[in-house]
Amino acid sequence: MQLFKKLNLIATSSILTIGIAHAAEPTPADWFNAGHQTVVNAKHLSRNNGHAKNVILFIGDGMGISTITASRIYDGQTKGGHGEENSLSFEKLPYLALSKTYSVDQQTPDSAPTMTAMVTGVKTIGDSLSVNQYVAHSEKDAKVIDANKLSTILEQAKQHGLSAGIVSTARITHATPAATYAHTANRDWEGDSDKLAGATVPDIASQLVDFNVNGGINVALGGGRTRFIPNTVTDPEYGVAGKRKDGRNLTVDWTTKHTNAHYVWDQAGFDAIDPNTTDHLLGLFEPSHVHYEADRVAHDKSGEPSLTQMTTKAISILKKNDNGYFLMVEGGRIDHAHHSGNAYRALTETQQFAAAVKAAIDATDPEETLIIVTADHSHVFTIGGYPQRGNPILGLTQGVGATKPDLDMLGLPYTTLNYANGTGYTGASNAQPEGSKTFSFPATAAWASGSEGHNPTSFSPATGRPTLDSAKVEDANYLQEAIIPLSSETHAAEDVAIFAGGPKAHLFHGIVEQNVIYHVMADALGFNDEEHSESDKD
Amino acid sequence: MKISDCLKIVMTVSFMAFSLSSFAESVSDSNPPLMEVACRYEMKVTRITKPKSSITNAWFFWRTPNIIQTQDADGDHGEIWERTANGSIQYRKLYHTDKTAVEYMPTDMPTNNMSFDWFKLSGMMSKEELNTLKMIKIKRVLGRSAELRKGEINGQAVEVLWLPNENLSANIIKKDKINRMELRLIEITPLSLAVKQPIAIGDINNYRQIDAADFGDMENDPFVKKLMSAEGHHHH
Repeated sequence: MQLFKKLNLIATSSILTIGIAHAAEPTPADWFNAGHQTVVNAKHLSRNNGHAKNVILFIGDGMGISTITASRIYDGQTKGGHGEENSLSFEKLPYLALSKTYSVDQQTPDSAPTMTAMVTGVKTIGDSLSVNQYVAHSEKDAKVIDANKLSTILEQAKQHGLSAGIVSTARITHATPAATYAHTANRDWEGDSDKLAGATVPDIASQLVDFNVNGGINVALGGGRTRFIPNTVTDPEYGVAGKRKDGRNLTVDWTTKHTNAHYVWDQAGFDAIDPNTTDHLLGLFEPSHVHYEADRVAHDKSGEPSLTQMTTKAISILKKNDNGYFLMVEGGRIDHAHHSGNAYRALTETQQFAAAVKAAIDATDPEETLIIVTADHSHVFTIGGYPQRGNPILGLTQGVGATKPDLDMLGLPYTTLNYANGTGYTGASNAQPEGSKTFSFPATAAWASGSEGHNPTSFSPATGRPTLDSAKVEDANYLQEAIIPLSSETHAAEDVAIFAGGPKAHLFHGIVEQNVIYHVMADALGFNDEEHSESDKD
Repeated sequence: MKISDCLKIVMTVSFMAFSLSSFAESVSDSNPPLMEVACRYEMKVTRITKPKSSITNAWFFWRTPNIIQTQDADGDHGEIWERTANGSIQYRKLYHTDKTAVEYMPTDMPTNNMSFDWFKLSGMMSKEELNTLKMIKIKRVLGRSAELRKGEINGQAVEVLWLPNENLSANIIKKDKINRMELRLIEITPLSLAVKQPIAIGDINNYRQIDAADFGDMENDPFVKKLMSAEGHHHH
């Protein structure tokens, strides 16, 4: 009887999660039972107070809560359901907290101090990577940086004999991955040619390759090739010159410095890597950031792995270490898509990010691996109006029972997703005429120079709003309307979510400062035991 | 919207239309190497209903087989397209006063349906466009033989003076119901003899290089701030 009851509840719960288009519409009893089952499940949650052998920290760059909600609905709708009932992989992790993202000097932060907080336990100022707040912005002196650097969880993992890896869809020298291994007061000093004259602090790319703690970083997969190769060497995929002026070819240094080391730059090279015989893997798949997931397969010249493939390969290499590992995985282009004002690419990037989390969950044992999924900051991305359930999330708002889209007070339809500011402002810009803006300017009109969508440097005031239709707004290149005209949509200051599962995941609760994330990871890995063993007993 | 603002947009957009194309054909290997030239052009954009409101803009154009560079008459802004050995094209906007280049990565060009037609970049008209236009007669422009061609492209009346020996547009006039745009060649010389030379590639490579994809994360960068405020404040 007990077993039957349990199965019945599981079946009811499934009705609410598999997509209503594929199942009977839940009855009131179904809703009630599913809600009850959630409570039953919560009662059976048991805290895992053991030490974590492994920690995987997932960062959805710019993945605010509205992005998660919209992506959840989009993902569910692509599976044929209404969408709202869907759950992304990481939403099923048992523990949740909210993270306050402000930095020492910013109400709305950038990715450098936020990631610094997460991997060092200390908040700092904008643009700074793993150095404390007392270091001036763009400090040139390596001695000053060294005296004020903050130890990162990745460095500590290496010091404790663990393996360490970083994976990103952004340049591997971009702020989020860089904060795990580099110390500098200017996040833009990614290559030696980016530094100010006279700066003695090493550039970020060289800090990655020269990282010397206990054998160095084991896996680094992402974009950003040009900061690793000298200006006398051309890119293997596109033929453009490298950016290093110091003559170093860091991809060569990587393989000569490490044992069982490989450098790969395309899908074929990546696929050929045998994790069992590889201890150090550097993969740089584009000169700058890698492709958006929405464009990756169709447009990449030489092929490049998805975030999920990179994550899986990284785990396969890192897990060989019996001491465990620390892995950071970033969905870096959620942020870029939002900056471009293009919800479609932000949602599809998040969808791929969720797939990477699922791959990690599937590849690890929850008893010994702490998985944390969070964001560094949010974006000014909104889900508004009163659309009916199942309304296409990228579509026009259409209310319950309505047969036509809802109209604003000008008599015009509007979308559910919008931005509070950015490039989707409908006044004429210097690049596109008045009206709706597109990520990719139509070929038949004059071609607007520039990529990364619409990159205006000026706008004229809009006169009213454009007339929208479903085909236009559900197009992959549509830029949702923005209230405030800006050259780039901005970050937002509200809290972001922290999802967690595994050892010590229960320590995430309530609303916490962002730097608490480090302290939970360090505690789970046992790094705090030496200093805090007495207080733990209390 | 102010007329000047409108014309500014048209000017920007039309310049790119003259020089660039999307969905373009791939460059044929059979094309002979293009003559290296240095040119000065003048572009005039006039709103049909406000003929006195025209905007004129002069700019320089330098062409070698694998590099095309432009520069505004004030010398501050320019663009550069470089064709690499494997056929990829690197595109950068140049801000000479700030010694900064803004890169548009090859990754992002196909994302935006952008592919560069080197022939069109080099001559400001594609082969397809030229073939669409009817040959009217042979003329002389700046002492060179030129074909006058007329027709319609994308709903616009187009008139071109094409230099067949140089594979280069001398004059282009595009007209629709709203605007009339005229591009006119003022001066052309072999590149080696030109008084005003393009900025050397070595110097450009020493500029600070910024990926356009990073603008959204560079809100505190002095150059990005300056770029946005300088142009954005036109309307305030």
